[in-house]
Amino acid sequence: MELLNERKIEIEPGLKRMILIELVLPTALLVIGIYHGLMQVLYRAGHIHTRKVLGLEYYQGLTLHGVVNAIVFTTFFAVAFGYAVIRFYLGRVNMKIAWLSFTLMIVGTLLAAGAILSGTSSVLYTFYPPLRAHPAFYIGLTLVVVGSWIAFFNWLPVYFSWKREHPGEKVPLAVVGIFAAFIVWLIATIPVAIEIIFMLIPWSFGWVATVNVPLARMLFWFFGHPLVYFWLLPTYVMYYTMLPKVSGGKLFSDFAGRLTFMWLILYSAPVGIHHQFTEPGISSTWKFVHAFFTMLVAVPSFATAFVMAASMELGARERGGNGLMGWWKKLPYLDTQRWLFGYFFCGLFIFIFGGVTGIINASYNLDIVVHNTSWLPAHFHQTVAGPVFLSYIGMTLFLVARLTGKEIKLPRMNVWVPYIWTLGIMIFSTGLFISGASGEPRRTNMGLTYANPDSPLYHADWQTPRMLGVLGGTIMTIAALMFFIVFFATLFARSTRQGALELVVSEPYHDENVRAVQSFTPWLVGAALLLVIAYTPPIVQTLRSNFPGAPPYTPDRPTPINTSNP
Amino acid sequence: MTPALKLERRIVIIATAFVLVLFGLAAMAINLFHVGLPTCLTDIKPFQKGELIAHSPTHYELRYVAKMWDFEPKEVTVPAGSTIDIYVSTPDVTHGLILLGTNLNLMVVPGVVNYARVKLDQARNYQLLCHEYCGTGHERMAANLRVVDAATFAAAKSAATPAPVEQGDAMVKLLEAKDCLTCHSVDGSDGIGPTFKGMFGRKTKLKGGSTITADEKYLREAILDPSKTIVDGFDDVMPKPEITDEEVNALIEYLKNLK
Repeated sequence: MELLNERKIEIEPGLKRMILIELVLPTALLVIGIYHGLMQVLYRAGHIHTRKVLGLEYYQGLTLHGVVNAIVFTTFFAVAFGYAVIRFYLGRVNMKIAWLSFTLMIVGTLLAAGAILSGTSSVLYTFYPPLRAHPAFYIGLTLVVVGSWIAFFNWLPVYFSWKREHPGEKVPLAVVGIFAAFIVWLIATIPVAIEIIFMLIPWSFGWVATVNVPLARMLFWFFGHPLVYFWLLPTYVMYYTMLPKVSGGKLFSDFAGRLTFMWLILYSAPVGIHHQFTEPGISSTWKFVHAFFTMLVAVPSFATAFVMAASMELGARERGGNGLMGWWKKLPYLDTQRWLFGYFFCGLFIFIFGGVTGIINASYNLDIVVHNTSWLPAHFHQTVAGPVFLSYIGMTLFLVARLTGKEIKLPRMNVWVPYIWTLGIMIFSTGLFISGASGEPRRTNMGLTYANPDSPLYHADWQTPRMLGVLGGTIMTIAALMFFIVFFATLFARSTRQGALELVVSEPYHDENVRAVQSFTPWLVGAALLLVIAYTPPIVQTLRSNFPGAPPYTPDRPTPINTSNP
Repeated sequence: MTPALKLERRIVIIATAFVLVLFGLAAMAINLFHVGLPTCLTDIKPFQKGELIAHSPTHYELRYVAKMWDFEPKEVTVPAGSTIDIYVSTPDVTHGLILLGTNLNLMVVPGVVNYARVKLDQARNYQLLCHEYCGTGHERMAANLRVVDAATFAAAKSAATPAPVEQGDAMVKLLEAKDCLTCHSVDGSDGIGPTFKGMFGRKTKLKGGSTITADEKYLREAILDPSKTIVDGFDDVMPKPEITDEEVNALIEYLKNLK
């Protein structure tokens, strides 16, 4: 795949090795994460009527699926991709600090994985108290987060020295996007760090007897929604800076990209209570405020959809595509030279549905129809397992192949991966949307009761959508298997040239110069103000209401843990 | 401005208007259809007892206790057309409550009571489920809210003179009161623990490989010190029950007859 003429730079062997490990290790873990995704649909459709398969209990496997796929894989990728972007556009980073961040993240992952596999932390990736996980679970997650913070802090001096050496120049768009991602990440992880470090860890060791559950939940969702923009922002970096080029066009508007990134810094956090619409302890007024802000955070995603379509259209029309729909035929859907296109394009397509259902969920009282039903996993698989997952695995394959100087193996198989995945996820989600709209609960071992014809709780009406879930889930697993074959075949192939750091760089079509989006400062001040407005009253309410605290429980016993004998 | 650009601008305006209209409709529904969201109640303290309280023939207060892994009360009946104020509280972990076929969808959070009002006009059985993961038995956590027409309800009420209670029914009440039925069933299906049906006298394989016959001595030991012997295929999760000697004797007699 030499057609794209990407810019390439030789990088230090140490940084190269670190980026490679940070990409390959979570991809290997993903094999386990996706295996349990498949087990999920089988359990839920009633093909499995037991608590555990191959030593892995249902809720334990579900915890693993969420933590590996949504927290470990995404955070490692964001850090590795961040290093690649910063090194590529700005310059050298401090390797000592880089290895410190790397070590913390690896140790944290091992601790959390050990806690889950030992069966003592089946609390799902939302770890709602008063269900209590093993302290190693909380400590492991904290180390992963702190490690990722250190990576970000490591980029700051590089950024400032680049600014000093390039006065008056616009910061490269990809760098703005990566910084936006990690600013959102910092905003998001501070409240959850407070929850974990000051509330859950002392409580899980038995040093404090009880925990304020409404407060812990509010801090969790203060983190939980900006988290999804942390996942999405690296994807948007790829969309704005690479998709136009791989599609054969130019970025329609550079300003749109910058505005999108700044807008997400501003609005991604004061929206968390839209996950808590059906909860007690929060006044409906503040629920409405958060619903309103959520509508505003949808705007940059609409803008992105528009700009991406315009960028692809530019190139397609230059190649002779015409008419209202004719230019769609001129895109490189199955071009093995431009294989990244499919990974980006399919994600955009899936996100149309993920985005629209997100608007539904956030629409205040509309949420009571779908809250905590299987509608929700259908929605977020169309976001995190759509654009985010596809762009992350595509970029992982691209970076690994280029850094090691290898050709993509099985290129014909590779170009089909995103399309088969898309087919699978659309079928899977359709099933879950249908049964979710009629109340089928999420995160439930259906095979024992609601999907078990021998149980008095059996629901025949959810059986057809469940079959769609199995069909879609199986197709997704096949696509993932194809990807793993291509990935590991490429990884273990012989190098054909000197490895280098390469990124695709799109040219802008409109290269606007709008001052308002060229400095982070006003947007950071705005974000801080909005957070104070949106969260001070609900948190004060939670603290002042003086809710009785809750002692810890393990998921398998209906009595609290005896704190003297944990 | 080119026609294409004009068209695109129009589409952006239409899309924005669409979102605003959707949001406006959601806001209107609060007043027009009384479909609101739960708010913060601090004057009602968490309660321990689930019950149905009749305020008038068509107005009920239904207090649910959601606990690992059951709702209390498990089964209630109200006449069609009733307005029901539902309060829900939990003594242990986070649960959820969804009343299938209605707009009732509540989180149940430790330390704070949740509330919503429903009006049920149709005579049918409404099932409520726990929709938040609450531990190993989560998928069994369900209950029924029966709505019957007013005539049936009145007839059932007048017929509710104390009927002779059979010994079996009294035992089931005891088992329910001691939370045994959360994990064990009397109908032959294994749950978190083995079923009670046919348990007495059965040759049972234990964890570790030995086999015993479930006689009186074994059952007494298994009730009073559950961690000592674990049936193969199940986990050591049963807490020591608070139970008197008389109750243990009665329970063993009951198991003898539950074939």
